[in-house]
Amino acid sequence: MNKTDGQAMPAALAGNGATMRPKVTTFGTELGRIGAIGVFFAIFIVLFRGDPFILNMMAYTFLFAALSTSWNIIGGFGGQFSLGHGVFFAIGAYTTANLYFHWQISPWLSLVPGMILAAMVAVAVSWPTFRLKGPFFAIATLALNEVALVLATYFDGITGGPRGMLLPFKAGLENMVFTSRLPYAVIMFGFLLVSLVAAAWVLRGRLGYYLQAVHLDEDAARAAGIDVLKVKLTGMAVSAALTGIGGSLFAMYLRFVDPPTVLSIQDIGVKFLLIALIGGVGTLYGPLLGALLIIPLESYLRATLGGTIPGINLLILGGLLVIFALFMRRGIFGAMQGLWERRRGARQ
Amino acid sequence: METFLNIVIVGLLLGGIYGLVSMGLNLIFGVVRIVNFAQGELVMLGMYGAYLSWYLLGLDPYLSALVVVPCLFVLGVIIQRFVLQPLQNEPSMQIFATFGLLILFQNIVLAITRGTGYSVHSEVSRVVLSFEDINISLSRLIVLIMVILVAVGANWFLHSTMYGKAVRAVTQDRRSARLMGINVELAFMLTFGVGSALAGLAGVLLAPIYTLSPQIGGNFILAAFAVVVLGGLGSVWGAFFGGFIIGLIEAFAGYYLNPELKHAIWFLVFIAVLIVRPGGLFGIAGAEEVGLREQD
Repeated sequence: MNKTDGQAMPAALAGNGATMRPKVTTFGTELGRIGAIGVFFAIFIVLFRGDPFILNMMAYTFLFAALSTSWNIIGGFGGQFSLGHGVFFAIGAYTTANLYFHWQISPWLSLVPGMILAAMVAVAVSWPTFRLKGPFFAIATLALNEVALVLATYFDGITGGPRGMLLPFKAGLENMVFTSRLPYAVIMFGFLLVSLVAAAWVLRGRLGYYLQAVHLDEDAARAAGIDVLKVKLTGMAVSAALTGIGGSLFAMYLRFVDPPTVLSIQDIGVKFLLIALIGGVGTLYGPLLGALLIIPLESYLRATLGGTIPGINLLILGGLLVIFALFMRRGIFGAMQGLWERRRGARQ
Repeated sequence: METFLNIVIVGLLLGGIYGLVSMGLNLIFGVVRIVNFAQGELVMLGMYGAYLSWYLLGLDPYLSALVVVPCLFVLGVIIQRFVLQPLQNEPSMQIFATFGLLILFQNIVLAITRGTGYSVHSEVSRVVLSFEDINISLSRLIVLIMVILVAVGANWFLHSTMYGKAVRAVTQDRRSARLMGINVELAFMLTFGVGSALAGLAGVLLAPIYTLSPQIGGNFILAAFAVVVLGGLGSVWGAFFGGFIIGLIEAFAGYYLNPELKHAIWFLVFIAVLIVRPGGLFGIAGAEEVGLREQD
């Protein structure tokens, strides 16, 4: 993404003389785009409001699109490939589940402590692990996820242990428990918009430029006066807080939380990354595009072939991961951007 | 005192297993500078290879190494040539690709076996050596002996043969090695092949000890990462001693604390080492960064 921006800029300068300044996409522009996306999907929800199957699929797609967008803030913009975002997801899920289960606190309110706790844990564990770079950071975060799984299973007072926590069914807006799937799709959709706006705000603001500078060349960024550790930690905190919200919503949607579900490497932690890769790592709308493809594909595979061939959905996802890493490094969004640049270049 | 001695022996035997699993991972990291997330799955494939050669050819698991190890060598060469070589200067894509291989291998085996757990039987695995109050199962002892042989062998190969010297030259400086007429790509393919073959060897030797499942690689890969980070990235002796340290920690934590918390204990050690000495106990200082510097 950055590469093409860099190439486009001098071309614009050369082509139009010194009067024309290079076009910079601002937060305002992105808000307009997000608004357009919002209207499009809102129409989609209204059209399919009576179909529980599609509503369920939409709820999951929006949720994972939002989660992958959140991961992308630190993973894509900042280039820190965390495999441990499942931990922040689980923190959100367990905070909401516990507050609701033991003290009947409305999940709407417990989104906030879930977020704060996720961000705090993220900063605490990232402070030492950010010493590591690239694959080693990924290993450390992978280990972190495994530790969280062990701890969640062990401390069954908080998590219900391996049996999990089944949240009571008391329908009502204040409990975020509904009989129909429509409100869930709407809530997940709202979460998607929130995370897109947050990601756009980060990307088009100072923090985003800092994160991208750190991603491209950490030493150069440091030499330019950027406090690298602080930038990474801030990016991680924002990303983790949003992931925490996702965990809370997931817990209320399933009304069941158990360690192997929320801390699954393949179904949670790596999925954020996979969706981002397929859509386009480091692009604002790539993760949304990835989720729109992956989540329906996966549930289709699971529904049609899952019974006869166990693991077929993951098998195909693993294959896609390798193929995209080899041939489409910038994801679908990046490939489309490349085509667009080439066409525009040909016209000039 | 006897309990203490028993725990030490359990820890050392476990350390042998971890060391053997980490050896290939560390070799690949040290030379090719790639962190192979799929290494645990290569071990898993080795285990299933042992089962398959017992099922089809009636081979004893220990003899099946003769078939499985070359197969995994070829698989490793193929992975390096067709998946990782094109991604040589793309560290983040290497993470994706090897993680993709992890998911792929795991679920191919799951799809074929449909999740049935297999176990491999060997006459050897029933033998238990007893010295007074201390019992040692022969199959675990074989692993321990093998890890020593592999470490000594790898050390001899790297320091005393022409090929080994070429590999070390590539490790130190790819560009200069290429100028000296060393075929860097070939060295990488052979190294990845050997690393994969070592995983296969580990798999074969572990097959009689564990019940086979497609997810078993996950148990080894985290231990192996802990070993590698602790012992030192890219160092043969690092993997060797790191394995014993992690094995002993796990044995003691299992006895005095709780066996379920072993992962948490590893992680604490892991974090502590990262803070104090990011290069590991036997590693070269700064090795954790060298892996990411662009080289061609």
